Amino acid sequence: MPELANHTWDDAFEAVVRPFLPYLSPGEKLTGDSQLRDLGLDSMGTVELLAALESAYDVRFLDDALKLENFASPDVLWRTLMTETESAA
Amino acid sequence: MNTNTDNGADAGAPQPSALVFPGMQPTAFSEVAKFMLVNPYARELYAIADEVLGYRLADRYQQTEGDYSLYGQISFVVNCLALARWAADRLDVTPAFVTGPSFGARAAAVHCGVLEFPDAVRMTARLATVMDEYFEREHPALVTQSIARVPQEKVELLRRELDERGEWSDVSCVVDHDFTMLTVHESVLDWLQRRIRSLGGMSMYTMKPPMHSYLFGGLRDRVDAEVFDGLTWSEPRLPVVADQDGRVVTTGEGVRGMLLDGFVRTVRWPAVVETLSRAGVGRLYVSGQDGLFTRVACTTRAFEVVPMTPRSAMRPAPRRMPVAAAAA
Repeated sequence: MPELANHTWDDAFEAVVRPFLPYLSPGEKLTGDSQLRDLGLDSMGTVELLAALESAYDVRFLDDALKLENFASPDVLWRTLMTETESAA
Repeated sequence: MNTNTDNGADAGAPQPSALVFPGMQPTAFSEVAKFMLVNPYARELYAIADEVLGYRLADRYQQTEGDYSLYGQISFVVNCLALARWAADRLDVTPAFVTGPSFGARAAAVHCGVLEFPDAVRMTARLATVMDEYFEREHPALVTQSIARVPQEKVELLRRELDERGEWSDVSCVVDHDFTMLTVHESVLDWLQRRIRSLGGMSMYTMKPPMHSYLFGGLRDRVDAEVFDGLTWSEPRLPVVADQDGRVVTTGEGVRGMLLDGFVRTVRWPAVVETLSRAGVGRLYVSGQDGLFTRVACTTRAFEVVPMTPRSAMRPAPRRMPVAAAAA
């Protein structure tokens, strides 16, 4: 897996994530270490976001990828998504 | 939104609406403080609650930690009721039905006129104490685990596996076809959570004390004798839809029975959705912050859901422009 620094996600990722963050203003930058819960991602939003990512990237999260801590920040979530995508390939 | 009109409703009449009081969810004081201190409907109810309790509820809420503190529970009921009164006056919300899944049944009982507000404050305070004592003594190791993205048949598979391991379980709440709450012994939580993930599901909240199980008959009896017997149960002004099976309750005694059933019977939210859909309800007004029942697919597919939260109630109302100015 490639080393991922902050903000290395693709445009699709941010387009999927942003609608689930009601406290993030449209022009406000989403940083890699932002706490998604502080930006309004609640439990039901997490389930919906997961489904949206699975659909957008044609991947199915399984086992430890489904732990709630993987939805803590954009960096952690992107890393999890990439791991799942590579596993599925 | 369901636009099917084959439900017995008069196609020419406006679709009826229903008011939903949500189940409780932990809410930080900072999220609701402005509403509690500024909204006139909230201020009026908090003044009554303070008099009933003998202390300033908002102060205790602010000072006490814990997701489900006594003060947080009472405040949640007060805020939900204040929002419903605000909505009735400001948004002209006139529901044909009222319902309240799980904890929301308490506010529903007040709004429909069965319980007076001061009695509801006393009841909520007393229930918190009685429940703490009961679960600490009778079921200190039981928890209720929320399970998302696992269909009912797989939940039954999980329960059979638990049974084979000699472990007890009970379905406490069916939120949607793939969202369930299971009450188990906390010693199996690690196994259960791993197994949920292996099925592609997510383990959400773990609630302690647990809720809604046939095992809690002792609590039901104690609440009936020690808490409910001292309250006045009037006839409801609005029909109430029970969260256990979607039955329509139209008497004060029926609402009392519904609240008691809430301790020992599984909450089945899809049954509420079905009852309201059959009655032609098109819109649900949600009186309070809800992260669960009115967010799942079975609800959002069937109705237009209108959330009303302390945050949204504090937004300035849109100003109507004078006709001449608008045309300019």
